[in-house]
Amino acid sequence: MSVFHIAWRELASILNTAVGWLVLAGFLVIAGFFWSSMVSFYVTQSTDLLTNPYAGAQMNLSDHLLAPYFGNVAVVLLMICPAISMRLFSEEVRQRTMELLLTAPVSTASIVAGKLLGALGFVALMLASTLHLPLTLMVWGSPDVGVLIGGYASLMLVSATILAMGMMFSAMTANQVVAVVLTFGSALVLWVLGWAGSGDGATAEVLTGLGLLDHVQGFLTGAVKLSDLVYFAAMIGFFSLATHQRVEGYRWR
Amino acid sequence: MPILQVESLTRAYGATVAVRDVSFSVEEGEIVGFLGPNGAGKTSTMRVIAGSLGATQGRVIVGGFDVATQPAAVKRIVGYMPETPPLYVDMTVRSFLRFCARIKAVSDPAGAAERAMRRVGLSEVAHRVIDHLSKGYRQRVGLAAALVHDPRLLILDEPASGLDPKQRVEIRSLVQELAGGHVTVVLSTHVLPEVEQLCTRVIIVNRGRIVAQDRMEALSEPGRVVTVEVRRDAERLAAAIGALDGVTEVEALRPGALRVVGARDLREDVADLAAPFGILELTGRRGLEEAFLRLTRED
Repeated sequence: MSVFHIAWRELASILNTAVGWLVLAGFLVIAGFFWSSMVSFYVTQSTDLLTNPYAGAQMNLSDHLLAPYFGNVAVVLLMICPAISMRLFSEEVRQRTMELLLTAPVSTASIVAGKLLGALGFVALMLASTLHLPLTLMVWGSPDVGVLIGGYASLMLVSATILAMGMMFSAMTANQVVAVVLTFGSALVLWVLGWAGSGDGATAEVLTGLGLLDHVQGFLTGAVKLSDLVYFAAMIGFFSLATHQRVEGYRWR
Repeated sequence: MPILQVESLTRAYGATVAVRDVSFSVEEGEIVGFLGPNGAGKTSTMRVIAGSLGATQGRVIVGGFDVATQPAAVKRIVGYMPETPPLYVDMTVRSFLRFCARIKAVSDPAGAAERAMRRVGLSEVAHRVIDHLSKGYRQRVGLAAALVHDPRLLILDEPASGLDPKQRVEIRSLVQELAGGHVTVVLSTHVLPEVEQLCTRVIIVNRGRIVAQDRMEALSEPGRVVTVEVRRDAERLAAAIGALDGVTEVEALRPGALRVVGARDLREDVADLAAPFGILELTGRRGLEEAFLRLTRED
């Protein structure tokens, strides 16, 4: 239970600040801009293709609108998540409030899980506020619902991975700027690792496998592999465990 | 069985040993003063008891539970207020205390928060954001947070630090009230009058070790140190006092003023002897201060 109390407080503390609402509003504007420009591009493209009977059949909503849209939103989240996660622990250390959690009958695992869930809750709120965009497609088209669900699921998983990583860095330093820079840098590396796939050989394969991009693809094509799920579980699990060890270490400093 | 047992507790920070082989126990209902100069290891000891710091060596047993192996059970019966109370300043007093009650697994968090606010006199600021409160109120919020789960053992680290004299008195009477309600209190401070008024027992620590622990009356026997200022012939008076039974030290503070240290209450004898010399001032300093200074002297 205490996991949810901690998560709820974390979410409330983000929404208690003007910055929280500004981030939410900014995200809505950017997502809306991507959506409208991509929809109008899709419309012009498909109108052009009407005159080309061969290409017309190859254009569909999933591959030419939804997948690129989710890809773009993922990059935006890549930039926002480090800013959300940077304060998770460093703020507690700086304000000396960690003492409250450490002296409460709450396990370290609950603290870590609660913090991650709270931050993820804010991302869920951001994503939920954009739901109306793809839903308009339901009225004027017939998008693949599986891809829609997969798209949102992949965004949540990518966010959870970056938030967990950011949480780890936040537990390692009381300096939020250091935390945000380390998280953003590492997130960027995880993202571009996917481009290594253009090379060949075992190294390229391993690097691609480590990157986020490769594992997002399955969700956007509606072909989720078990390995993708294992990848995200392992990443989130690893960073959470590292955070757990670090927080346990607070008692031994 | 004592509510708190500390057995050969040692806590080191790297090469620095903050707490060295400290052992003591506290019985239910006591108010124990933890006294010592800054850096004596008071806070480290308290944090180990509260469970936010690990012990390098030794054991701490609270209410029959070992802090190291059953931390959750211990934390449910211990309330801890650090010197700077940990407060989420963006929350209102009420929502903060409800949060504290929830993570401390209280069955009725809302009710517990209201009770805690009534106990420490916060009801009128319940809806205010903690960030906008004065230092005195914040200290009370910290106390309420430590109390919200009705702990059996309350640990207060410098509960009145940074408060004005009026607020200090308020906090002091609050602690007294709590102790009347069968809460055991361990409080650290370096304000001696606070200890004298509140505590039933005193533990004096210096450089990580316990240098004395005794009942309040035994440590603070009045009149063991007397200062006297006379109008004339202070040297002759000094000689006369020095001949008294039980006097261990006579020292000239300034022309006309003497400081006398003895093994018993010397006020009457010194007054009798000094009367013919024209007494300007005579004070029987409380022995606790003397004991404290002597025991914690850096040498």
